[in-house]
Amino acid sequence: MANSGFILIVAAISIPWLGALLAVLIKRQSRALGFAAAAASALASGLLLQGSPGRESWNEALMLLFSCLSAGALLVLPRRDCTPGAVAGMLFLQGSTLLAYSTGNLLVLLAAWILTTIPFLPARLFGARSWRPKIALLSSAIAFALAVAVIAAGGRELSIDRLNGQSAGGLPAFGLLVLAVILRKGICPAHAWVADAAESGPLVPTALLLNGHLGALVVAKLLVPLFPDAARNLFPALSHLALATALYVAIRALSETAPRRLLALLALSQSACILAGLESGTAEGITGALLQWLVVTASTMGLFGILRLLEVRFGENLTAAVHLGLAEHAPRLAVFFVVFGLALVGLPGTLSFFSQDLLIKGMLESHPLTGLLLPAAIAMNAISIFRLFTRLFLGKRRTGFTVMADALPRERWILTVGVLFVALGGLFPNAIVSLRWAESEPDGQGIHSPVKP
Amino acid sequence: MDLSQALLLFVVFTPGALFGALALLWLAGYVPAERVVSRITGIAFAASAAALAVIVLRLAFTGSDRVVARFGNWFAAHQYEFPLALMADRLSLPFLAMTVMLSGLIGRFSATYLHRERGFLRFFLLLHLFTFGSLLAFAAASFDLLAAGWEVVGITSVLLIAFFDRRIPPVENALRVFAVYRSCDVGLLVGVFAMHHWAGGASFVRGLPALTEAQGVIVCLLLLLAAAGKAAQIPFSGWLPRAMEGPTPSSAIFYGAISIHAGAYLLLRAQPVLVQSKLACGLVIAIGLLTAIHGTIVGRASADAKTSLAYASLTQVGVVFVEIGLGWTWIAVAHVMGHAMVRTLQFLRAPSMLHDYHQMHSAAGGELAETGKHLDELFPERFQLWLYRWALDRGHLDTILDRGVIEPLMRLSNLLARIDDFGTGGALKRRREPVMRLTSIRPGSD
Repeated sequence: MANSGFILIVAAISIPWLGALLAVLIKRQSRALGFAAAAASALASGLLLQGSPGRESWNEALMLLFSCLSAGALLVLPRRDCTPGAVAGMLFLQGSTLLAYSTGNLLVLLAAWILTTIPFLPARLFGARSWRPKIALLSSAIAFALAVAVIAAGGRELSIDRLNGQSAGGLPAFGLLVLAVILRKGICPAHAWVADAAESGPLVPTALLLNGHLGALVVAKLLVPLFPDAARNLFPALSHLALATALYVAIRALSETAPRRLLALLALSQSACILAGLESGTAEGITGALLQWLVVTASTMGLFGILRLLEVRFGENLTAAVHLGLAEHAPRLAVFFVVFGLALVGLPGTLSFFSQDLLIKGMLESHPLTGLLLPAAIAMNAISIFRLFTRLFLGKRRTGFTVMADALPRERWILTVGVLFVALGGLFPNAIVSLRWAESEPDGQGIHSPVKP
Repeated sequence: MDLSQALLLFVVFTPGALFGALALLWLAGYVPAERVVSRITGIAFAASAAALAVIVLRLAFTGSDRVVARFGNWFAAHQYEFPLALMADRLSLPFLAMTVMLSGLIGRFSATYLHRERGFLRFFLLLHLFTFGSLLAFAAASFDLLAAGWEVVGITSVLLIAFFDRRIPPVENALRVFAVYRSCDVGLLVGVFAMHHWAGGASFVRGLPALTEAQGVIVCLLLLLAAAGKAAQIPFSGWLPRAMEGPTPSSAIFYGAISIHAGAYLLLRAQPVLVQSKLACGLVIAIGLLTAIHGTIVGRASADAKTSLAYASLTQVGVVFVEIGLGWTWIAVAHVMGHAMVRTLQFLRAPSMLHDYHQMHSAAGGELAETGKHLDELFPERFQLWLYRWALDRGHLDTILDRGVIEPLMRLSNLLARIDDFGTGGALKRRREPVMRLTSIRPGSD
């Protein structure tokens, strides 16, 4: 069983890498090849999840989610973006992210962390035109590398399991890890790169990078279990910073008119809640954070995908400053957009209704005063997402604009799968909550366990 | 599960299931004919009304005062549970009956009124979703579930205000209403969490959660914020005329009947806690009274039929709030029922108002007495003029909200945007949302 688990992990990680290599070499049928590789990886992750005991299922669940996300992203990617290089880059990102989720070794985690940033550095691949994303990603990688070095020197060990509770490296290592998380996750004051990356980089691959949530992963996997004392005393500061980020970015989004930036800000604000929930120390808060992880990932990927589809149909000068009235041409895309958008901000009947229910409960319990910021931030995000919807899809039809295709069958079906995920998750949340419950025991052990082959 | 429980489940979830089925059909590319949609709607509401009648009869014969249907927890995490339980008792049954009857009536009316209108199916989809949300809110056995239904009602309300989506004012006004709803709903969310935190739950099957006096006051004030937002009470009344941009049938059912009374229902549910706090009761009475006075004055200066009906509605809901604050529960319930029926009829007749007026004028022999003249004579002319200007600007409530909340928030947002752009050398300079954007469109402007 242990061997088969190891084989499945290797398969889930190496198939996308192999697919990336083939996509570059063959240069034909890139989408089909990429989708097949991502789907095979998803299958391996699914089998891994099925065979894993409850307490160790979170990493496998994340692997399955990210593999499905990559497969969906490859399907929804517009033809003009679907070059062999882009497909290879996305598959490489998928393999690297799965490596980060599955590993129990510090050095491997560092390698995965660096590998996920590589496609976003050169301008000819996924590099953004703005300098801030590159600096943020590089700085976070350096901070993480220094932290690993300090931990390894202090604990003389690289296995996360064996380092548990030892506070190896002490405060310097803890501080460096927090810095890496702040930079990677886009926590204030290092938040501006996220919107820059979304605006001046390729949209769908950037959404994949952001939805890896490696910052939150490091919090769950390293910060809390490795440094229990420091986490108890200093971690609330990070939580308050995450809450402040959620509110700051929510207010910031109110005046934004560039759709890409606006969506990036909303995604950032909603995902900052994940960190706050993980830190809350309450079972409700942690469960809410884990559910929020799933919701933010699925919803923002859907939203970014739809936005890119609109850009290639309408032209890349989309703006939320005026009403474009696109619903008349693309009613299904409009419906998908509003459902994903409202699902991101807690629409009843979707999974986010429960994730935010639990998050707010956990936050109000652990931080009664600052916890109040969370519902305020979510309310503002809801207003911003609805504003974006009304500006893009409602209003007067653009004159001199004749035909624009609605969702193609390929896009329609994959977006329907996404909507069904957030909707069915909302109708039957217990299936997911009970799965996560084992991970969010108040002792906090579950979420920190790496996959044991 | 006995028959009454099954019927209650049927009544609440039928519109939700219809919404889901029709929406999936549409997504799959099939658009059902108008006749099919209106037939299905008619049959569904007739069946729901019959089911509700059976529930009432069974309650009458068995002497029981409620039907409770429990389906376990929607979800549970650690000690936090979200119970999935429906309840039809003396308070919720009138509201359930009102919702089913009026939604069915509106469905029937709209089949003709919106015939061949672009968005016919969309209207019916949203009508079903709204009915589901309302029934869920009224039949909920806990504040958690009530909040879920409450949110659904808010979202459908906003999407119907933006029904005529090719015109900018309805769309912008829908955004404004959405902003008010979401801001006030924070009160409901935090109130429910406060109940969980202090009393370990928010179910009211066996009475309200046990709270101390201070805790009760806090919870009541939070619920009052949500109720005032939904019921357009002062200081949130400014959204109501904006909501009149939607089609007349939706205005009738939302702002003449069901949605506008949801706030009153919330306070009625919380009344056992409310009456323990003089402060909260006093605040409910004061808000209701001020809203009633505001509504009646502004309504008299409104130039269009739907807006004057909306303000008339506001006046009555204000009076209902006063009744709730005074502890007159059953008078308030009777008032809500009577008001909802009459106002729905008036809204539905609004497009024929001139015709009705002429008919009444002829029937009265060509002379209709002016109303309110005796009130006018009580005040000096200068005060009357001031009052008229005040009423024309709808009590300056929108202006106060704009200048006190929206403008500072938008200025702060623009400032944060400038801070974020620091160091980009102007390369990322871009257009921002104007400070007054959410406030620039007034009801009726086009």
